[in-house]
Amino acid sequence: MMMSEPPAWLGAAGPRSDVILSTRVRFARNLEGSPFPTRATERELIEVRERIVAAIAKSNYLTNALVFRMEETDPAIRRVLVERHLVSSELAEGGPGGGAIVGEKEIVSAMVNEEDHLRLQCIRAGLQPVDAWRLIERIDCELERNLQYAFSSDWGYLTSCPTNVGTGVRVSVLAHLMGLVRSNRIAQVLGSVSKLGLSVRGFYGEGSAALGGFFQISNQTTLGQSEEDIAYTVERVAGQLVALELEARKELAENAGRQLADEVGRAYGILANARMISAEEVMELVSSLRLGTALGLIDSVDLGTVNRLLVITQPGHLTYSHGGEPTPEERDSARADLVRKELASCE
Amino acid sequence: MICEECNERPASVRYAEMADGHVRSWNLCEECARRKGMTASLAPFAGPLVNILKGLLDETAEQGATPAGPTCPECKLSYDEFRRTGKLGCGTCYDSFHSELKPLLRRIHGSTEHTGSVPSCLEADFDSRREVKRLRAELAQAVRGEEYERAAELRDLIRSKADGRAPAGDAEP
Ligand SMILES: [Zn+2]
Ligand SMILES: [Zn+2]
Repeated sequence: MMMSEPPAWLGAAGPRSDVILSTRVRFARNLEGSPFPTRATERELIEVRERIVAAIAKSNYLTNALVFRMEETDPAIRRVLVERHLVSSELAEGGPGGGAIVGEKEIVSAMVNEEDHLRLQCIRAGLQPVDAWRLIERIDCELERNLQYAFSSDWGYLTSCPTNVGTGVRVSVLAHLMGLVRSNRIAQVLGSVSKLGLSVRGFYGEGSAALGGFFQISNQTTLGQSEEDIAYTVERVAGQLVALELEARKELAENAGRQLADEVGRAYGILANARMISAEEVMELVSSLRLGTALGLIDSVDLGTVNRLLVITQPGHLTYSHGGEPTPEERDSARADLVRKELASCE
Repeated sequence: MICEECNERPASVRYAEMADGHVRSWNLCEECARRKGMTASLAPFAGPLVNILKGLLDETAEQGATPAGPTCPECKLSYDEFRRTGKLGCGTCYDSFHSELKPLLRRIHGSTEHTGSVPSCLEADFDSRREVKRLRAELAQAVRGEEYERAAELRDLIRSKADGRAPAGDAEP
């Protein structure tokens, strides 16, 4: 089963993994001559899905991919797919005709009949927009031999929502910007990033600790720029963001090193000893632990484990391994047990 | 405070999105926040980018275009319905609503011309179209600059290219 091995992108083995958790590149594509999913009948959806599944089976990169047909897939597994960033919650909760295709190590995957017929994506550890784009481009070329895409010479690849038309490319990075959050520079920095044609989203405000300090940065427009330009722009801007974050972390360690080490140590203490813990508390503590690990304030845990904790402690993962819907107490207990086990295996 | 997405449950988190230097933020309940991804699951999906589109669509509606607008002959979606949902029905919608979509695409993307990759089956044809377009621009400049010899050369070149792709050239891809 796919869940037995953590996805490659959680491994923290990518460039700038200390700040960038993951990079995702996705191509939105639709098949010529078929209505888009929101306008299609169940029969049309299934027909499109099977054409895509057949084309993907012929791809060199996805020959051994797992295929999930949503109407046949257990709800617990669907939630795991969402938590692994493989499908959106809309697709997981949607009706018949939806699908997910998951390649080896979850590096390349596809959503079928979400908003568009095909959303081909590549998720890598750390900051790798250009590499991820190159891989997806190659697979897209392979698929195109067996699938005819809806395309216009003026407006490029045609998508259900006009915000994706053109290249259909969305390049995004998930960044951990706790240093900038703590030094109250986050709004200013992200504001200037957003002036460079990128959009930023995340949760922040007062009580920032509870929000984890994770932000998603992605290209805002898809028409009028080449895929390559989009990938390079995100890579360059995210690289600058990394530099600013590292500077903020350094200052934080210099000016408030003791407090920070105390906080990180306490976070570790709770995670390593709790017997019941909520997803939100894990998120908050793991965020501190991640910052402390990246700064070398604590060496009893590695970044890969920290990343993994963020995903495997999610409700869907816990339900899946519990083999049935746990009560809230059972879930918080199972979560605490899992966290202790993961941390113990690092020592 | 009530969640701004569902208008039902109490809001507990503040979600922010920034684009073009503008910050938009929403107070959301836990449930809706989870749907936007990036809570505890950090899922990089869905999000209020659609709201930007909706804002633009409402704006064009207020400017008082034809109330119902055209209907796509292929999937029977009316422009009015698109304006409500923000989702087109099929590839043909882009032709059916061409004149309505063009200004919208300019607002969203700052461009109305695809300059990225092209399906390989169309590549040869596409490259020659782009080349002809480029030559036409050069021709116009040559004429303006009164370089008549160069202009004649360019005209011949354009004619030969247009002839070369004549069989497939005018068919829509
Ligand atoms: Zn809500
Ligand atoms: Zn249509």
